Amino acid sequence: MKAINKEVLKDAAKRLLFDMSEDEYDTLLKEFEVVIKQMELIGQIEGVDDYEPMTFPFECTTSYLREDIPAKPLSKEEVLRNAKNKSAGQIKLPKVVG
Amino acid sequence: MEFLDLTIRELHNELVKKTVTPLDLVKEALLRAKADNNNAFEYIMEKEALDMASKLKEPEANNLFWGIPFVIKDNFSTKDVPTTASSNILKGYVPVFDATVVRKLLEAKAIPIAKATLDELAMGGSGTTGHLGTTFNPYDKLHEHLIGGSSCGSAVAVSSSIVPFALGSDTGDSVRKPASYAGLVGFKPTWGRISRLGLFPFATSLDHVGYFTRSVFDAAHLLNLLAGRDIEDATSSETPVEDYARLLTNDLKGVKIAVVKEIVDSIYDKSINAAFQKTLASLKVRGAKVEYVSIDRKLLEALFPTYVVISCAEATSNNANLDGIKFGPYHDGKTFDEVMSKARTKGFSELIKRRFVIGSFCLMKENQEALFLRAQKVRRMIVDRINEIFQDYDAIFLPASPTPAPTLGEASDRLSDEYLIADNHMVIGNFGGFPSITIPLGFKNNLPFGGNLTAKPFNEAKLLQIASVIEDITGFYNLSVRTAKL
Repeated sequence: MKAINKEVLKDAAKRLLFDMSEDEYDTLLKEFEVVIKQMELIGQIEGVDDYEPMTFPFECTTSYLREDIPAKPLSKEEVLRNAKNKSAGQIKLPKVVG
Repeated sequence: MEFLDLTIRELHNELVKKTVTPLDLVKEALLRAKADNNNAFEYIMEKEALDMASKLKEPEANNLFWGIPFVIKDNFSTKDVPTTASSNILKGYVPVFDATVVRKLLEAKAIPIAKATLDELAMGGSGTTGHLGTTFNPYDKLHEHLIGGSSCGSAVAVSSSIVPFALGSDTGDSVRKPASYAGLVGFKPTWGRISRLGLFPFATSLDHVGYFTRSVFDAAHLLNLLAGRDIEDATSSETPVEDYARLLTNDLKGVKIAVVKEIVDSIYDKSINAAFQKTLASLKVRGAKVEYVSIDRKLLEALFPTYVVISCAEATSNNANLDGIKFGPYHDGKTFDEVMSKARTKGFSELIKRRFVIGSFCLMKENQEALFLRAQKVRRMIVDRINEIFQDYDAIFLPASPTPAPTLGEASDRLSDEYLIADNHMVIGNFGGFPSITIPLGFKNNLPFGGNLTAKPFNEAKLLQIASVIEDITGFYNLSVRTAKL
Protein backbone atom coordinates (compact mmCIF):
# COMPACT_ATOMS: atom_id res chain seq x y z
CA MET A 1 0.00 0.00 0.00
CA LYS A 2 1.16 3.51 -0.78
CA ALA A 3 2.66 5.37 2.21
CA ILE A 4 0.56 8.33 3.31
CA ASN A 5 2.08 11.74 3.73
CA LYS A 6 1.00 15.26 2.90
CA GLU A 7 2.61 15.11 -0.55
CA VAL A 8 0.61 12.01 -1.50
CA LEU A 9 -2.60 13.65 -0.29
CA LYS A 10 -1.88 16.87 -2.15
CA ASP A 11 -1.25 14.88 -5.30
CA ALA A 12 -4.54 13.00 -4.83
CA ALA A 13 -6.42 16.28 -4.36
CA LYS A 14 -4.75 17.76 -7.46
CA ARG A 15 -5.89 14.81 -9.53
CA LEU A 16 -9.41 15.28 -8.16
CA LEU A 17 -9.17 18.88 -9.40
CA PHE A 18 -9.41 20.77 -6.13
CA ASP A 19 -7.14 22.15 -3.44
CA MET A 20 -7.45 22.35 0.36
CA SER A 21 -5.87 24.48 3.09
CA GLU A 22 -2.78 23.27 4.98
CA ASP A 23 -4.89 22.78 8.11
CA GLU A 24 -7.25 20.51 6.23
CA TYR A 25 -4.39 18.36 4.98
CA ASP A 26 -3.31 17.98 8.64
CA THR A 27 -6.87 16.95 9.61
CA LEU A 28 -6.98 14.57 6.67
CA LEU A 29 -3.69 12.93 7.69
CA LYS A 30 -5.17 12.21 11.12
CA GLU A 31 -8.33 10.79 9.53
CA PHE A 32 -6.24 8.52 7.34
CA GLU A 33 -4.45 7.17 10.41
CA VAL A 34 -7.84 6.16 11.78
CA VAL A 35 -9.04 4.58 8.53
CA ILE A 36 -5.81 2.66 7.88
CA LYS A 37 -5.65 1.39 11.47
CA GLN A 38 -9.22 0.14 11.30
CA MET A 39 -8.71 -1.46 7.89
CA GLU A 40 -5.59 -3.27 9.16
CA LEU A 41 -7.65 -4.76 11.97
CA ILE A 42 -10.23 -5.82 9.42
CA GLY A 43 -7.46 -7.54 7.50
CA GLN A 44 -6.96 -9.77 10.51
CA ILE A 45 -10.51 -11.12 10.45
CA GLU A 46 -10.15 -14.83 9.84
CA GLY A 47 -11.00 -15.87 6.31
CA VAL A 48 -11.78 -12.37 5.02
CA ASP A 49 -9.59 -12.71 1.95
CA ASP A 50 -11.33 -15.95 0.96
CA TYR A 51 -14.46 -13.93 0.21
CA GLU A 52 -15.34 -12.42 -3.17
CA PRO A 53 -15.66 -8.63 -3.14
CA MET A 54 -19.32 -7.54 -3.04
CA THR A 55 -20.21 -4.80 -5.51
CA PHE A 56 -24.00 -4.75 -5.18
CA PRO A 57 -26.28 -5.71 -2.27
CA PHE A 58 -27.55 -8.86 -3.98
CA GLU A 59 -27.62 -10.63 -7.33
CA CYS A 60 -30.19 -9.22 -9.68
CA THR A 61 -30.68 -9.11 -13.42
CA THR A 62 -31.58 -6.03 -15.37
CA SER A 63 -31.69 -4.79 -18.89
CA TYR A 64 -30.97 -1.50 -20.55
CA LEU A 65 -32.85 -2.13 -23.75
CA ARG A 66 -36.14 -0.42 -24.51
CA GLU A 67 -38.46 -0.06 -27.47
CA ASP A 68 -37.25 2.32 -30.14
CA ILE A 69 -40.03 4.85 -29.69
CA PRO A 70 -39.31 8.41 -30.79
CA ALA A 71 -39.60 10.91 -27.95
CA LYS A 72 -39.09 14.61 -27.51
CA PRO A 73 -35.50 15.31 -26.44
CA LEU A 74 -34.41 18.26 -24.31
CA SER A 75 -34.44 21.52 -26.23
CA LYS A 76 -31.17 23.34 -26.82
CA GLU A 77 -32.38 26.05 -24.44
CA GLU A 78 -32.98 23.50 -21.65
CA VAL A 79 -29.57 21.95 -22.16
CA LEU A 80 -27.81 25.32 -22.01
CA ARG A 81 -29.98 26.82 -19.28
CA ASN A 82 -27.70 25.98 -16.37
CA ALA A 83 -24.38 26.66 -18.09
CA LYS A 84 -23.02 30.06 -17.05
CA ASN A 85 -20.49 30.53 -19.84
CA LYS A 86 -22.14 30.34 -23.25
CA SER A 87 -21.53 31.66 -26.73
CA ALA A 88 -23.30 31.14 -30.06
CA GLY A 89 -25.57 28.44 -28.70
CA GLN A 90 -22.74 26.41 -27.18
CA ILE A 91 -21.01 26.01 -23.83
CA LYS A 92 -17.80 28.05 -23.82
CA LEU A 93 -14.51 26.79 -22.39
CA PRO A 94 -10.80 27.65 -22.69
CA LYS A 95 -9.37 25.88 -25.71
CA VAL A 96 -8.17 22.35 -24.93
CA VAL A 97 -5.77 21.92 -27.83
CA GLY A 98 -3.88 24.84 -29.40
CA MET B 1 -56.23 19.49 16.23
CA GLU B 2 -55.35 21.38 13.10
CA PHE B 3 -55.42 19.61 9.77
CA LEU B 4 -51.64 19.51 9.23
CA ASP B 5 -51.27 17.74 12.55
CA LEU B 6 -53.05 14.74 11.00
CA THR B 7 -51.51 11.77 9.20
CA ILE B 8 -51.99 11.29 5.46
CA ARG B 9 -54.85 8.83 6.04
CA GLU B 10 -56.83 11.18 8.29
CA LEU B 11 -56.08 14.23 6.18
CA HIS B 12 -57.30 12.37 3.11
CA ASN B 13 -60.60 11.65 4.85
CA GLU B 14 -61.04 15.35 5.63
CA LEU B 15 -60.25 16.32 2.04
CA VAL B 16 -62.80 13.82 0.72
CA LYS B 17 -65.43 15.17 3.16
CA LYS B 18 -64.46 18.67 1.96
CA THR B 19 -63.93 19.96 5.49
CA VAL B 20 -60.67 21.35 4.10
CA THR B 21 -59.27 22.07 0.62
CA PRO B 22 -55.75 21.54 -0.80
CA LEU B 23 -55.42 25.31 -1.03
CA ASP B 24 -56.21 25.70 2.70
CA LEU B 25 -53.61 23.04 3.51
CA VAL B 26 -50.93 24.52 1.31
CA LYS B 27 -51.48 28.03 2.69
CA GLU B 28 -51.10 26.72 6.25
CA ALA B 29 -48.08 24.55 5.33
CA LEU B 30 -46.36 27.55 3.71
CA LEU B 31 -47.04 29.66 6.81
CA ARG B 32 -45.52 26.99 9.01
CA ALA B 33 -42.56 26.51 6.66
CA LYS B 34 -41.79 30.24 6.63
CA ALA B 35 -42.04 30.32 10.42
CA ASP B 36 -39.57 27.45 10.80
CA ASN B 37 -36.50 28.48 12.76
CA ASN B 38 -34.70 25.14 12.63
CA ASN B 39 -33.05 25.88 9.27
CA ALA B 40 -35.00 23.13 7.51
CA PHE B 41 -35.42 24.62 4.05
CA GLU B 42 -33.30 25.46 1.05
CA TYR B 43 -36.20 26.80 -0.99
CA ILE B 44 -39.88 27.32 -0.34
CA MET B 45 -42.02 26.58 -3.42
CA GLU B 46 -44.68 29.17 -2.61
CA LYS B 47 -45.85 30.14 -6.08
CA GLU B 48 -45.61 26.60 -7.42
CA ALA B 49 -47.54 25.05 -4.52
CA LEU B 50 -50.32 27.66 -4.50
CA ASP B 51 -50.67 27.26 -8.28
CA MET B 52 -51.01 23.45 -8.03
CA ALA B 53 -53.35 23.57 -5.04
CA SER B 54 -55.73 26.08 -6.61
CA LYS B 55 -56.28 23.72 -9.56
CA LEU B 56 -57.41 20.81 -7.35
CA LYS B 57 -61.19 20.99 -6.96
CA GLU B 58 -62.79 17.52 -6.87
CA PRO B 59 -61.23 15.14 -4.32
CA GLU B 60 -60.26 11.66 -5.55
CA ALA B 61 -61.65 9.29 -2.93
CA ASN B 62 -59.39 6.41 -4.02
CA ASN B 63 -56.22 8.48 -4.11
CA LEU B 64 -54.70 8.82 -0.65
CA PHE B 65 -52.23 11.47 -1.83
CA TRP B 66 -54.61 13.84 -3.61
CA GLY B 67 -54.01 17.38 -2.34
CA ILE B 68 -51.54 16.32 0.37
CA PRO B 69 -48.62 18.75 0.88
CA PHE B 70 -45.12 17.29 1.24
CA VAL B 71 -41.45 18.27 1.31
CA ILE B 72 -38.58 17.07 -0.90
CA LYS B 73 -35.00 16.61 0.29
CA ASP B 74 -32.87 18.90 -1.85
CA ASN B 75 -30.93 16.09 -3.54
CA PHE B 76 -33.93 15.12 -5.66
CA SER B 77 -34.13 16.68 -9.10
CA THR B 78 -37.17 18.97 -9.24
CA LYS B 79 -38.05 20.51 -12.60
CA ASP B 80 -37.76 24.30 -12.65
CA VAL B 81 -37.04 24.41 -8.90
CA PRO B 82 -33.54 25.19 -7.55
CA THR B 83 -31.86 22.00 -6.36
CA THR B 84 -28.54 22.32 -4.58
CA ALA B 85 -27.90 19.16 -2.51
CA SER B 86 -27.03 21.77 0.15
CA SER B 87 -23.70 22.35 -1.62
CA ASN B 88 -22.24 25.55 -3.06
CA ILE B 89 -21.14 23.61 -6.12
CA LEU B 90 -24.78 23.44 -7.19
CA LYS B 91 -25.75 26.98 -6.26
CA GLY B 92 -28.24 28.24 -8.82
CA TYR B 93 -28.73 24.84 -10.45
CA VAL B 94 -32.29 24.43 -11.72
CA PRO B 95 -33.00 20.93 -13.08
CA VAL B 96 -34.87 20.40 -16.34
CA PHE B 97 -36.53 17.18 -15.21
CA ASP B 98 -38.23 15.66 -12.18
CA ALA B 99 -36.90 12.68 -10.27
CA THR B 100 -39.17 9.68 -10.87
CA VAL B 101 -40.46 9.74 -7.27
CA VAL B 102 -41.29 13.45 -7.61
CA ARG B 103 -43.07 12.75 -10.90
CA LYS B 104 -45.12 9.92 -9.34
CA LEU B 105 -46.18 12.15 -6.45
CA LEU B 106 -47.11 15.00 -8.80
CA GLU B 107 -49.15 12.58 -10.92
CA ALA B 108 -50.95 11.55 -7.72
CA LYS B 109 -51.70 15.26 -7.17
CA ALA B 110 -49.65 15.55 -3.99
CA ILE B 111 -48.25 19.08 -3.61
CA PRO B 112 -44.56 19.76 -2.90
CA ILE B 113 -44.18 22.93 -0.80
CA ALA B 114 -40.42 23.12 -0.20
CA LYS B 115 -36.94 21.66 -0.74
CA ALA B 116 -35.33 20.58 2.50
CA THR B 117 -31.78 21.00 3.80
CA LEU B 118 -29.41 18.06 4.04
CA ASP B 119 -25.82 17.32 4.96
CA GLU B 120 -23.86 18.43 1.89
CA LEU B 121 -24.31 16.01 -1.02
CA ALA B 122 -25.98 13.64 1.49
CA MET B 123 -22.53 12.78 2.82
CA GLY B 124 -23.05 13.20 6.55
CA GLY B 125 -25.04 12.07 9.57
CA SER B 126 -25.30 15.11 11.80
CA GLY B 127 -27.39 17.67 9.91
CA THR B 128 -24.60 20.21 10.40
CA THR B 129 -22.67 20.18 7.13
CA GLY B 130 -25.08 21.70 4.59
CA HIS B 131 -24.02 25.01 3.04
CA LEU B 132 -26.71 26.89 5.02
CA GLY B 133 -25.35 25.63 8.34
CA THR B 134 -26.82 23.47 11.09
CA THR B 135 -30.38 22.18 11.02
CA PHE B 136 -31.77 21.91 14.55
CA ASN B 137 -34.05 19.48 16.33
CA PRO B 138 -37.53 20.97 16.83
CA TYR B 139 -37.93 19.01 20.10
CA ASP B 140 -35.33 21.37 21.57
CA LYS B 141 -36.28 25.05 21.35
CA LEU B 142 -32.88 26.02 22.74
CA HIS B 143 -31.24 24.63 19.58
CA GLU B 144 -28.71 22.63 21.56
CA HIS B 145 -29.57 19.28 19.97
CA LEU B 146 -29.09 17.92 16.49
CA ILE B 147 -31.67 16.15 14.40
CA GLY B 148 -29.05 13.99 12.67
CA GLY B 149 -28.70 13.52 8.95
CA SER B 150 -28.27 13.56 6.16
CA SER B 151 -32.06 14.04 5.69
CA CYS B 152 -32.22 16.71 8.41
CA GLY B 153 -34.62 19.21 6.85
CA SER B 154 -37.12 16.52 5.85
CA ALA B 155 -37.15 15.21 9.41
CA VAL B 156 -37.88 18.71 10.74
CA ALA B 157 -40.70 19.22 8.23
CA VAL B 158 -42.59 16.12 9.38
CA SER B 159 -41.87 16.25 13.13
CA SER B 160 -42.93 19.93 13.20
CA SER B 161 -46.17 19.03 11.37
CA ILE B 162 -45.39 21.33 8.49
CA VAL B 163 -46.30 18.40 6.23
CA PRO B 164 -47.37 14.78 6.91
CA PHE B 165 -44.57 13.24 4.84
CA ALA B 166 -41.21 14.12 3.30
CA LEU B 167 -38.84 12.45 0.86
CA GLY B 168 -35.33 11.58 2.04
CA SER B 169 -32.46 9.35 0.99
CA ASP B 170 -30.65 6.67 2.97
CA THR B 171 -27.09 5.56 2.14
CA GLY B 172 -25.80 4.72 5.62
CA ASP B 173 -28.94 5.39 7.76
CA SER B 174 -29.66 8.93 6.60
CA VAL B 175 -33.44 8.53 6.97
CA ARG B 176 -33.54 5.97 9.77
CA LYS B 177 -31.19 7.75 12.18
CA PRO B 178 -32.84 11.22 12.05
CA ALA B 179 -36.18 9.40 12.35
CA SER B 180 -34.97 8.13 15.74
CA TYR B 181 -33.89 11.62 16.85
CA ALA B 182 -37.13 13.19 15.58
CA GLY B 183 -39.65 10.59 16.82
CA LEU B 184 -40.75 9.66 13.32
CA VAL B 185 -41.41 6.68 11.12
CA GLY B 186 -38.34 6.61 8.83
CA PHE B 187 -38.40 3.97 6.12
CA LYS B 188 -36.27 2.72 3.29
CA PRO B 189 -37.35 -0.29 1.22
CA THR B 190 -35.20 -2.91 -0.51
CA TRP B 191 -32.40 -1.56 -2.72
CA GLY B 192 -33.86 -0.90 -6.14
CA ARG B 193 -37.50 -1.14 -4.98
CA ILE B 194 -37.98 2.58 -5.63
CA SER B 195 -36.46 4.21 -8.71
CA ARG B 196 -33.48 6.46 -8.04
CA LEU B 197 -33.68 8.37 -11.29
CA GLY B 198 -33.14 11.99 -10.35
CA LEU B 199 -31.74 11.23 -6.88
CA PHE B 200 -28.22 12.69 -6.92
CA PRO B 201 -26.01 9.63 -6.47
CA PHE B 202 -23.75 9.46 -3.43
CA ALA B 203 -22.76 5.76 -3.26
CA THR B 204 -24.69 3.82 -5.85
CA SER B 205 -24.40 0.40 -4.22
CA LEU B 206 -25.73 1.82 -0.93
CA ASP B 207 -28.17 4.63 -1.92
CA HIS B 208 -31.90 4.20 -1.33
CA VAL B 209 -34.89 6.49 -1.68
CA GLY B 210 -36.56 6.72 1.73
CA TYR B 211 -39.08 8.92 3.50
CA PHE B 212 -40.53 10.13 6.80
CA THR B 213 -44.15 9.75 7.89
CA ARG B 214 -45.97 9.84 11.23
CA SER B 215 -47.57 6.43 10.87
CA VAL B 216 -46.70 3.00 9.53
CA PHE B 217 -49.96 2.97 7.53
CA ASP B 218 -48.83 6.09 5.67
CA ALA B 219 -45.39 4.55 5.02
CA ALA B 220 -46.94 1.38 3.59
CA HIS B 221 -49.24 3.26 1.21
CA LEU B 222 -46.47 5.60 0.10
CA LEU B 223 -44.48 2.51 -0.88
CA ASN B 224 -47.46 1.27 -2.91
CA LEU B 225 -47.31 4.55 -4.84
CA LEU B 226 -43.54 4.84 -5.29
CA ALA B 227 -42.41 1.24 -5.82
CA GLY B 228 -41.83 -0.20 -9.25
CA ARG B 229 -39.53 -0.81 -12.15
CA ASP B 230 -38.36 2.32 -13.98
CA ILE B 231 -36.86 1.76 -17.42
CA GLU B 232 -34.72 4.87 -16.87
CA ASP B 233 -33.12 3.40 -13.72
CA ALA B 234 -31.51 0.11 -14.68
CA THR B 235 -30.87 -0.68 -11.00
CA SER B 236 -34.59 -0.52 -10.21
CA SER B 237 -36.09 -3.92 -9.53
CA GLU B 238 -38.35 -5.86 -11.88
CA THR B 239 -39.86 -7.71 -8.90
CA PRO B 240 -43.64 -7.17 -9.08
CA VAL B 241 -45.10 -4.50 -6.82
CA GLU B 242 -47.37 -5.88 -4.07
CA ASP B 243 -49.90 -4.28 -1.76
CA TYR B 244 -47.47 -3.50 1.04
CA ALA B 245 -50.27 -2.52 3.41
CA ARG B 246 -52.04 -5.90 3.20
CA LEU B 247 -50.52 -7.36 6.40
CA LEU B 248 -51.04 -4.35 8.63
CA THR B 249 -52.78 -6.39 11.37
CA ASN B 250 -52.09 -7.14 14.98
CA ASP B 251 -51.52 -10.85 14.53
CA LEU B 252 -47.87 -11.82 15.02
CA LYS B 253 -48.46 -15.57 15.45
CA GLY B 254 -45.63 -17.44 13.78
CA VAL B 255 -43.47 -14.33 13.40
CA LYS B 256 -39.89 -14.75 14.55
CA ILE B 257 -37.83 -11.72 15.55
CA ALA B 258 -34.07 -11.73 16.16
CA VAL B 259 -32.19 -9.35 18.46
CA VAL B 260 -28.42 -9.08 17.99
CA LYS B 261 -26.87 -9.51 21.44
CA GLU B 262 -23.60 -7.70 20.70
CA ILE B 263 -25.40 -4.61 19.40
CA VAL B 264 -27.77 -4.40 22.36
CA ASP B 265 -24.81 -4.90 24.70
CA SER B 266 -23.05 -1.90 23.13
CA ILE B 267 -25.89 0.41 24.19
CA TYR B 268 -25.61 1.78 27.73
CA ASP B 269 -28.50 4.24 27.94
CA LYS B 270 -30.92 2.98 30.62
CA SER B 271 -34.01 4.67 29.16
CA ILE B 272 -33.40 3.20 25.72
CA ASN B 273 -32.66 -0.26 27.08
CA ALA B 274 -35.76 -0.21 29.29
CA ALA B 275 -38.06 0.91 26.46
CA PHE B 276 -36.53 -1.65 24.11
CA GLN B 277 -36.90 -4.54 26.57
CA LYS B 278 -40.48 -3.51 27.35
CA THR B 279 -41.28 -3.61 23.63
CA LEU B 280 -39.69 -7.05 23.28
CA ALA B 281 -41.88 -8.34 26.12
CA SER B 282 -44.99 -6.88 24.47
CA LEU B 283 -44.06 -8.43 21.11
CA LYS B 284 -43.99 -11.84 22.82
CA VAL B 285 -47.43 -11.18 24.32
CA ARG B 286 -48.67 -10.39 20.80
CA GLY B 287 -47.57 -13.81 19.63
CA ALA B 288 -44.09 -13.23 18.20
CA LYS B 289 -41.13 -15.40 19.03
CA VAL B 290 -38.24 -13.14 20.10
CA GLU B 291 -34.73 -14.59 20.41
CA TYR B 292 -31.19 -13.31 20.75
CA VAL B 293 -28.67 -14.08 18.01
CA SER B 294 -24.97 -13.47 17.88
CA ILE B 295 -22.73 -11.74 15.34
CA ASP B 296 -18.94 -11.81 15.65
CA ARG B 297 -17.89 -8.53 17.31
CA LYS B 298 -15.03 -8.20 14.82
CA LEU B 299 -17.58 -8.06 12.00
CA LEU B 300 -19.62 -5.43 13.81
CA GLU B 301 -16.50 -3.36 14.51
CA ALA B 302 -15.79 -3.56 10.79
CA LEU B 303 -19.13 -1.94 9.84
CA PHE B 304 -18.04 1.67 10.12
CA PRO B 305 -14.63 1.56 8.40
CA THR B 306 -16.09 -0.66 5.65
CA TYR B 307 -18.81 1.93 5.13
CA VAL B 308 -16.29 4.80 5.07
CA VAL B 309 -14.11 3.12 2.45
CA ILE B 310 -16.91 1.97 0.14
CA SER B 311 -19.00 5.13 0.38
CA CYS B 312 -16.07 7.52 -0.05
CA ALA B 313 -14.74 5.56 -3.04
CA GLU B 314 -18.11 5.49 -4.78
CA ALA B 315 -18.81 9.14 -3.91
CA THR B 316 -15.56 10.30 -5.46
CA SER B 317 -16.56 8.73 -8.74
CA ASN B 318 -20.21 9.85 -8.61
CA ASN B 319 -19.31 13.48 -8.01
CA ALA B 320 -16.65 13.71 -10.69
CA ASN B 321 -19.14 15.46 -12.99
CA LEU B 322 -19.48 18.48 -10.70
CA ASP B 323 -17.14 20.88 -12.47
CA GLY B 324 -18.97 24.20 -12.87
CA ILE B 325 -19.18 23.87 -16.65
CA LYS B 326 -22.65 22.49 -17.48
CA PHE B 327 -24.17 23.71 -14.21
CA GLY B 328 -23.13 25.33 -10.95
CA PRO B 329 -21.08 28.49 -10.43
CA TYR B 330 -18.53 29.09 -13.21
CA HIS B 331 -15.06 30.50 -12.57
CA ASP B 332 -12.91 31.67 -15.44
CA GLY B 333 -9.43 30.25 -16.02
CA LYS B 334 -6.68 29.95 -18.59
CA THR B 335 -7.25 26.20 -19.10
CA PHE B 336 -10.25 23.91 -18.66
CA ASP B 337 -8.34 22.26 -15.78
CA GLU B 338 -8.20 25.60 -14.05
CA VAL B 339 -11.90 26.26 -14.66
CA MET B 340 -12.84 22.92 -13.10
CA SER B 341 -10.34 23.22 -10.22
CA LYS B 342 -11.62 26.63 -9.24
CA ALA B 343 -15.24 25.41 -9.28
CA ARG B 344 -14.46 22.33 -7.19
CA THR B 345 -12.11 24.10 -4.75
CA LYS B 346 -14.64 26.87 -4.07
CA GLY B 347 -17.79 24.72 -4.39
CA PHE B 348 -17.04 21.73 -2.18
CA SER B 349 -16.69 22.15 1.57
CA GLU B 350 -13.50 20.96 3.25
CA LEU B 351 -15.25 17.96 4.75
CA ILE B 352 -16.43 16.77 1.34
CA LYS B 353 -12.97 17.22 -0.13
CA ARG B 354 -11.46 15.12 2.68
CA ARG B 355 -13.98 12.38 1.94
CA PHE B 356 -13.16 12.46 -1.77
CA VAL B 357 -9.41 12.18 -1.11
CA ILE B 358 -10.03 9.17 1.14
CA GLY B 359 -12.18 7.63 -1.58
CA SER B 360 -9.67 8.31 -4.32
CA PHE B 361 -6.81 6.93 -2.23
CA CYS B 362 -8.74 3.70 -1.57
CA LEU B 363 -9.20 3.22 -5.31
CA MET B 364 -5.55 3.73 -6.29
CA LYS B 365 -4.13 0.54 -7.81
CA GLU B 366 -1.53 0.00 -5.10
CA ASN B 367 -4.14 0.46 -2.35
CA GLN B 368 -7.14 -1.39 -3.75
CA GLU B 369 -6.32 -4.79 -2.29
CA ALA B 370 -5.80 -3.58 1.27
CA LEU B 371 -8.57 -1.00 1.27
CA PHE B 372 -11.34 -1.02 -1.34
CA LEU B 373 -11.44 -4.72 -2.23
CA ARG B 374 -11.02 -5.77 1.38
CA ALA B 375 -13.93 -3.52 2.40
CA GLN B 376 -16.02 -5.15 -0.32
CA LYS B 377 -15.06 -8.60 0.97
CA VAL B 378 -16.03 -7.67 4.52
CA ARG B 379 -19.32 -6.33 3.16
CA ARG B 380 -20.05 -9.77 1.77
CA MET B 381 -19.08 -11.43 5.07
CA ILE B 382 -21.50 -9.18 6.94
CA VAL B 383 -24.34 -9.60 4.45
CA ASP B 384 -23.85 -13.39 4.38
CA ARG B 385 -24.16 -13.49 8.19
CA ILE B 386 -27.34 -11.39 8.13
CA ASN B 387 -28.83 -13.61 5.41
CA GLU B 388 -28.06 -16.61 7.62
CA ILE B 389 -30.08 -14.98 10.41
CA PHE B 390 -32.93 -14.32 7.98
CA GLN B 391 -33.13 -18.04 7.18
CA ASP B 392 -34.60 -18.54 10.65
CA TYR B 393 -36.11 -15.13 11.46
CA ASP B 394 -38.50 -12.71 9.79
CA ALA B 395 -36.84 -9.55 11.08
CA ILE B 396 -34.07 -8.14 13.22
CA PHE B 397 -35.13 -5.59 15.85
CA LEU B 398 -32.72 -3.24 17.62
CA PRO B 399 -32.54 0.22 19.19
CA ALA B 400 -32.04 2.65 16.29
CA SER B 401 -29.54 4.83 18.15
CA PRO B 402 -27.49 4.51 21.36
CA THR B 403 -28.84 7.80 22.70
CA PRO B 404 -31.53 10.35 21.86
CA ALA B 405 -30.32 13.28 19.73
CA PRO B 406 -26.77 14.31 20.62
CA THR B 407 -25.90 17.89 21.50
CA LEU B 408 -24.10 20.11 19.01
CA GLY B 409 -20.94 19.87 21.05
CA GLU B 410 -20.95 16.11 20.78
CA ALA B 411 -21.04 16.09 17.00
CA SER B 412 -17.90 16.16 14.98
CA ASP B 413 -17.36 15.84 11.27
CA ARG B 414 -14.02 14.12 11.81
CA LEU B 415 -13.59 10.36 11.69
CA SER B 416 -13.21 9.09 15.23
CA ASP B 417 -11.21 6.28 16.72
CA GLU B 418 -14.20 4.53 18.22
CA TYR B 419 -15.86 1.67 16.39
CA LEU B 420 -19.24 2.97 17.34
CA ILE B 421 -21.14 -0.27 16.77
CA ALA B 422 -24.18 1.17 18.47
CA ASP B 423 -24.10 4.29 16.32
CA ASN B 424 -23.59 2.63 12.95
CA HIS B 425 -25.28 -0.75 12.92
CA MET B 426 -28.11 0.42 10.65
CA VAL B 427 -25.65 0.55 7.75
CA ILE B 428 -26.30 -3.20 7.58
CA GLY B 429 -29.55 -2.24 5.83
CA ASN B 430 -27.51 -0.52 3.12
CA PHE B 431 -24.83 -3.21 2.75
CA GLY B 432 -27.40 -5.90 1.99
CA GLY B 433 -30.11 -3.66 0.53
CA PHE B 434 -32.46 -4.91 3.29
CA PRO B 435 -35.77 -3.05 3.82
CA SER B 436 -35.53 -1.25 7.15
CA ILE B 437 -37.73 1.02 9.24
CA THR B 438 -37.30 3.15 12.35
CA ILE B 439 -40.32 3.74 14.57
CA PRO B 440 -40.60 5.82 17.77
CA LEU B 441 -39.94 3.86 20.95
CA GLY B 442 -39.81 6.34 23.80
CA PHE B 443 -38.60 9.61 25.27
CA LYS B 444 -35.73 10.66 27.49
CA ASN B 445 -35.53 14.22 28.84
CA ASN B 446 -38.24 15.20 26.31
CA LEU B 447 -36.17 13.93 23.38
CA PRO B 448 -37.49 10.97 21.37
CA PHE B 449 -35.62 7.83 20.36
CA GLY B 450 -36.58 4.96 18.08
CA GLY B 451 -36.29 1.25 17.37
CA ASN B 452 -35.14 -0.19 14.05
CA LEU B 453 -36.58 -3.19 12.27
CA THR B 454 -34.89 -4.84 9.27
CA ALA B 455 -36.10 -7.71 7.06
CA LYS B 456 -35.09 -9.80 4.05
CA PRO B 457 -34.99 -8.15 0.61
CA PHE B 458 -38.48 -7.62 -0.85
CA ASN B 459 -40.19 -8.55 2.45
CA GLU B 460 -41.57 -5.05 3.01
CA ALA B 461 -45.11 -6.28 3.74
CA LYS B 462 -43.91 -8.42 6.66
CA LEU B 463 -41.61 -5.65 7.91
CA LEU B 464 -44.45 -3.12 7.87
CA GLN B 465 -46.76 -5.60 9.60
CA ILE B 466 -44.38 -6.00 12.54
CA ALA B 467 -43.72 -2.24 12.60
CA SER B 468 -47.46 -1.54 12.77
CA VAL B 469 -47.75 -3.81 15.81
CA ILE B 470 -44.85 -2.04 17.54
CA GLU B 471 -46.60 1.25 16.80
CA ASP B 472 -49.73 -0.16 18.44
CA ILE B 473 -47.71 -1.39 21.44
CA THR B 474 -46.00 1.95 22.08
CA GLY B 475 -49.02 4.08 21.22
CA PHE B 476 -46.73 6.47 19.32
CA TYR B 477 -49.08 6.92 16.38
CA ASN B 478 -48.84 10.34 14.74
CA LEU B 479 -46.14 11.60 17.09
CA SER B 480 -45.01 15.18 16.50
CA VAL B 481 -43.57 18.10 18.46
CA ARG B 482 -47.03 19.67 18.52
CA THR B 483 -48.86 16.58 19.76
CA ALA B 484 -46.29 14.91 22.03
CA LYS B 485 -47.43 15.01 25.64
CA LEU B 486 -44.19 16.24 27.18
